[in-house]
Amino acid sequence: MTAQTRPAPGASLMTVRPGGRAFSIAVIVPVSHGADSLVELYRDYSEPLRAQSGWSFEFVVVAEPWYRDLTSPLVALAARGERIRVFHVGQSVGETTLLRVGLANTDAEIVVVLPAYRRVEPAALRELVQRVSDGADLAVARRWPRRDPWINRLQTRAFHALIGGLADGRLHDVACGVSAMRREVLERAPLYGDLLRFLPVFAIRQGYQLEEIAAAQHAADGRARVHGPGTYLRRLVDLLGLVFLLRFTEKPLRFFGLIGGLLTSGGGAVLTLLLLQRLAGRGIADRPLLLLGVLLVVLGVQAIALGLIGEIVVHLHAGHQRGYRLRDAASRTDRPA
Amino acid sequence: MSARPGITVVVPVFNEQSNVTPLVDAAARALAGMSWELILVDDGSDDGTATEAARIARGDRRVRVIRLARNFGQTAATQAGFDHARGNVVVTMDGDLQNDPADIPRLVAKLNEGYDLVAGWRERRHDTLLTRRVPSWLANRLIRWLTGVPIRDNGCSLRAYRSELLERVRLYSDQHRFIAAVAAALGAARVAEIPVRHHARRWGRSKYGLARAPRVLADLLTIHMIRSFRERPLALFGLGALAAAALGFAFATAAVISLTSFGVAKANAVVLPGAALLCWGLACYLVLLGLLAEVALREEREANPGVLPVAHQEGV
Repeated sequence: MTAQTRPAPGASLMTVRPGGRAFSIAVIVPVSHGADSLVELYRDYSEPLRAQSGWSFEFVVVAEPWYRDLTSPLVALAARGERIRVFHVGQSVGETTLLRVGLANTDAEIVVVLPAYRRVEPAALRELVQRVSDGADLAVARRWPRRDPWINRLQTRAFHALIGGLADGRLHDVACGVSAMRREVLERAPLYGDLLRFLPVFAIRQGYQLEEIAAAQHAADGRARVHGPGTYLRRLVDLLGLVFLLRFTEKPLRFFGLIGGLLTSGGGAVLTLLLLQRLAGRGIADRPLLLLGVLLVVLGVQAIALGLIGEIVVHLHAGHQRGYRLRDAASRTDRPA
Repeated sequence: MSARPGITVVVPVFNEQSNVTPLVDAAARALAGMSWELILVDDGSDDGTATEAARIARGDRRVRVIRLARNFGQTAATQAGFDHARGNVVVTMDGDLQNDPADIPRLVAKLNEGYDLVAGWRERRHDTLLTRRVPSWLANRLIRWLTGVPIRDNGCSLRAYRSELLERVRLYSDQHRFIAAVAAALGAARVAEIPVRHHARRWGRSKYGLARAPRVLADLLTIHMIRSFRERPLALFGLGALAAAALGFAFATAAVISLTSFGVAKANAVVLPGAALLCWGLACYLVLLGLLAEVALREEREANPGVLPVAHQEGV
């Protein structure tokens, strides 16, 4: 399912919007992998926002259909006038789409993304929003100091060793996911599927002002996490997709051409060797090496041909896209029609 | 917003703090008496270029500054300048003062003789021979051959374009290196060249190196393909398929000869027929990819049928 900006048919559209005016902060909670108690989550995390004068906020909870029993207490809270709105989509659509649904249903200027699990102490929310209202485009929380077992920390380290280069080494805890941003950042990030966690990486590559702040890890986040091999494999695939998305979407031939070039030259070397031997009088019709050489060349040509198809697609879309982003809207003067 | 200027000068700058002011002054002197604007595209400089540019823009309304959010590269910066240019004629030049703004009026005059694109070529270059001039000579030969556009100096940024031409061109990836070739090939432009002055670098450091060569090659291949096969991609892939099929046929012939001369029992019945089948497989695959390309292009033609090359009515 691709980016969808409206709730799927069958979603229960709650229109509990006290006073009907725009909130300045929306805390969006996507619920797609179960959650801690959402009522507690709301109580804890709305506290630091409530304390600030001049800040108006709402919680937007967007859940996949199987979590109605988790969200129904929230609906009850909302009915009592708490600043919560709950949405359900009709299908399993993934966190990124849930977040987009939430975004489409709020007009707050500052968006806080809050995972349904408690990862950091609630006070961090105030700090994050403060940074954004002070001018940062995006503020992300890093769980620090950590209080979970070493096995979790090791995973975080290993993961960031892999993505470090993409983010200029400026991120230390992408998996945390607690962040605040101007809504434009989220609106313009080309995210899908499970790539939501990489939003800060996209933001850096697009030249947004990003700040990472240390936030005390929540006590509930302390249990050791060791996932099945499938999970790690999916992370790796995500990472591959991310690298391709960030580095080669404008120039697919460089990626496919590299692979194809290596394969073809490998095959070419094998075939040259055989040709030399043939010229020296040795027969090659019974040499399986010949098959290998031809196979490598065939694979290489296929890769390059695919890269050319990719270039055609990119060329066709180039007219609609811009490879740059301006620093601020103030310096923008549009070309007259 | 003021009236549209006649000439827009687009200058991408990246860390050119000490060059910005002399550059704008030189341009203002060269363009005195004409209607012009100058767009400084700050490509994410971190050395105070932006402050300097903003200061100039405050003092001179003809100078505009566009700031990119980070360093996106010269192609993106140039395109950003094009997107914001308002003049009928758009002139590009480097921000490092190696081009001489005094050449701009001559470029524009040449353009007005009835060209869509006038490229400058550096008559006497002031660069190191081995790392800059020799690769540049090779690259230009290759670009000329692959794009069919007779421009002898693709590395010279000093050029004048008619805005109608630029509207037909979108730069992406690293295409600024052959922007003239791309524009001319895709927009079917009329191209002229005039010699321009070239100064040695006065301030700052050069930002080019030899490491870009393989990337330039890949980009060039892309441009060649898009230019020559945009109308019929099946031709490109069909050509490849034909070659693969022929190779397969050669292997098959060898297999038959081997089988007939040695007999089925003695000849190796796997290697040569296998190689033939692999080649034929590749041929089928390439035909299918060609069809896929046709599909992609068809989509685009239906969505956007209106892009025609620049055409000129004779005798007007």
